[in-house]
Amino acid sequence: MDFDFSDDQVQLGDAVRKWVDKAYTFERRRAAEKAGGFDRAAWNELAELGLCGLYVPEDDGGLGMGPVEGMVVMEELGRGVVLEPLAQSLMASGVIAGYADAATKAAWLPKIASGEALVVLAYQERAARYQLDVCDAKATQAPGGYVINATKSVVPVGDQADAFIVPARINSQLALFLVERQSAGVSTRGYGMQDGSRAAEVSLKNAPATLITQDGLTALEHAVDIGIAATCAEAVGVMDKTMAITAEYLNTRKQFGVVISSFQALRHRAADMKMQLELARSMSYYASLKLNAPAPERRAAMARAKYQLGQSMRFVGQQAVQLHGGIGVTDEYIVSHYFKKLTQMEMTFGDSLHHLGEVSSRMQDTAGVFA
Amino acid sequence: MDLAFTPEEQQFREDIRAWVGANLPADIAHKVHNALHLTRDDMQRWAKILGKKGWLGHAWPKEFGGPGWNSVQKHLFEEECALAGAPRVVPFGPVMVAPVIMAFGNPEQQKRFLPGIASGDVWWSQGYSEPGSGSDLASVKCRAERQGNTFVVNGQKTWTTLGQYGEWIFCLVRTSTEGKPQTGISFLLIDMKSPGVTVRPIVLLDGEAEVNEVFFDNVVVPAENLIGEENKGWTYAKHLLSHERTNIADVNRAKRELERLKRIAKAEGVYDDVRFRDEIAKLEVDVVALEMMVLRVLAAEKSGKNSLDIAGLLKIRGSEIQQRYSELMMLAAGPFALPLIREAMEAGWQGDAAAGALGGFPGGSVANAPLASTYFNMRKTTIYGGSNEVQRNIVAQTVLS
Repeated sequence: MDFDFSDDQVQLGDAVRKWVDKAYTFERRRAAEKAGGFDRAAWNELAELGLCGLYVPEDDGGLGMGPVEGMVVMEELGRGVVLEPLAQSLMASGVIAGYADAATKAAWLPKIASGEALVVLAYQERAARYQLDVCDAKATQAPGGYVINATKSVVPVGDQADAFIVPARINSQLALFLVERQSAGVSTRGYGMQDGSRAAEVSLKNAPATLITQDGLTALEHAVDIGIAATCAEAVGVMDKTMAITAEYLNTRKQFGVVISSFQALRHRAADMKMQLELARSMSYYASLKLNAPAPERRAAMARAKYQLGQSMRFVGQQAVQLHGGIGVTDEYIVSHYFKKLTQMEMTFGDSLHHLGEVSSRMQDTAGVFA
Repeated sequence: MDLAFTPEEQQFREDIRAWVGANLPADIAHKVHNALHLTRDDMQRWAKILGKKGWLGHAWPKEFGGPGWNSVQKHLFEEECALAGAPRVVPFGPVMVAPVIMAFGNPEQQKRFLPGIASGDVWWSQGYSEPGSGSDLASVKCRAERQGNTFVVNGQKTWTTLGQYGEWIFCLVRTSTEGKPQTGISFLLIDMKSPGVTVRPIVLLDGEAEVNEVFFDNVVVPAENLIGEENKGWTYAKHLLSHERTNIADVNRAKRELERLKRIAKAEGVYDDVRFRDEIAKLEVDVVALEMMVLRVLAAEKSGKNSLDIAGLLKIRGSEIQQRYSELMMLAAGPFALPLIREAMEAGWQGDAAAGALGGFPGGSVANAPLASTYFNMRKTTIYGGSNEVQRNIVAQTVLS
């Protein structure tokens, strides 16, 4: 039982925070959003810090680190509402390192770690909502491998990524593939997202694909769980900063001749936000510390964590806007951007209702952190 | 970072579980698991069993005869007791006044009072609240006047939990009206058998006299019963309240009661009703999140590296959860939670034999008998120990300062 960070973990967090504070200013973020929602230069800077290779084994050119380091990094990126989707690299490298054959690992892991290859998960389909086992994409055997026919939606940075991790069915079996964006049969349409980031619709027409694993659902669930833990940590960072911005505002804004932090209605709201933040932080720890647990235990933990985080994100985001008053609903002021980020994260990898359903259907007679 | 307990801690847990399993009387555990009425004797029996083992003061340091456990060991002990169905230790002696006597009492006081607390022989009560001072404790008026080697106490305390059983009471009394309200308070130990002490039960909304008013009419208290210095009682009281609040989250009991809620929901046929089941699922997440928060606080205490500013949150969240599970249990039973049949809340009730087939608990499940009463009783949790609104003021102070 130990929730202290090691010196190395603290140093890692400090390095990322320094980069966010110095290099990833609100102005730069705004420029990136205007330019489409993804800044490859910023991505390369993340790679230079080693972050793209956080989960890539050292032998493959990465840092070979684990979930706690992932949590530390994501929390700091959250603080700066960084648009570039590092969680995608964590998921892609986690899945390739865990399930792909040696050749695929050798071909992709070093490039992911160096930032040369941005590999993202392209799993969302219209009919699936948040269910991972609903998949219409078809894979058929072809000379030299497979070809896939599919339409995937809301793929992060889909029109600029170098490759996709794609679930598709071989007959009825869900398998996981890697598809390069530059291949024949791949077309994309990019667009901006509500939080300022970028996504795309991705169409695959007989697109050549490399098989990662026939046990696609197992690998996809694992990938998404890496994504959930990363999102939880990122959300804690976003909420922590949101809380700090809001506290500062309450302590400086004057109405009726006094600072508004003197009003008990607002003080209690701030206390309620702190409650939601600390519940969220606790469950983010829980998610990351369960990420390497056996799959059923891991899945159950992620559902509990994401439900709590969803509740917390909605409350903290909405109340931050409310407590700011008019300035809170402007584009000019930063808090609306934190709110939109929180909203989008609640709806990524399953919203609160989805995960409540997951918790509900998995309930056992006894429950607790260790059950 | 590591979520697991160490092998030594696991072994410690196993040892505690085995001991509790062998020593907790089955009739008492049955009552606790079913929220049946606990008598003074039930509570005293368990306290003395713990006392004999040296575990009634389970948080005490070794120098005062405690086991000297660290924060994690204490938590494991409390959890194993709660899950096995042990009654909550009545905290006023071993958890509240004892640490004050250890920290601020003189050696004579320690020798005189601590053994009776450790053994469970002496029942202590708490004399903090007054009719005019609830969450605003510094406003106490109960007066203690120095007369030679004695104090003469006049005034009233209220909300004295289980005070009808009390033999001794620790009180915050006003010894000075000069300066700030906090500066004129003293911490006094009073023998409840003293002439002039009157205890009057207050019947609560569940029909039980769980709390009392205690009146002091020219009660003569030897000056040697003053803890520490005169007019410094506020400092000692704050020390005590910090002990009260970490205890108050009660996450271990919440885990036990969550299990009971599921049993009741199954028996009442609502466990597979999605609307109801989802409410249980929400509570399950709430309990896990609270447990994680508690574990964070414990780990921080154990390592001593970081202090966390989240202890105040534990009281708020823990009390809300206590209310929620009692509410859901009542709702699960629906109309069959409403009949008020007091005898059915006693262990071993066999129904009203004279009424024949109609003599059982209405609806047929006697497990439903205490549910509404417990729900009503639990409203206290967000009020006592510093109301949750006062707790929010404290939390806000840490956020906004």
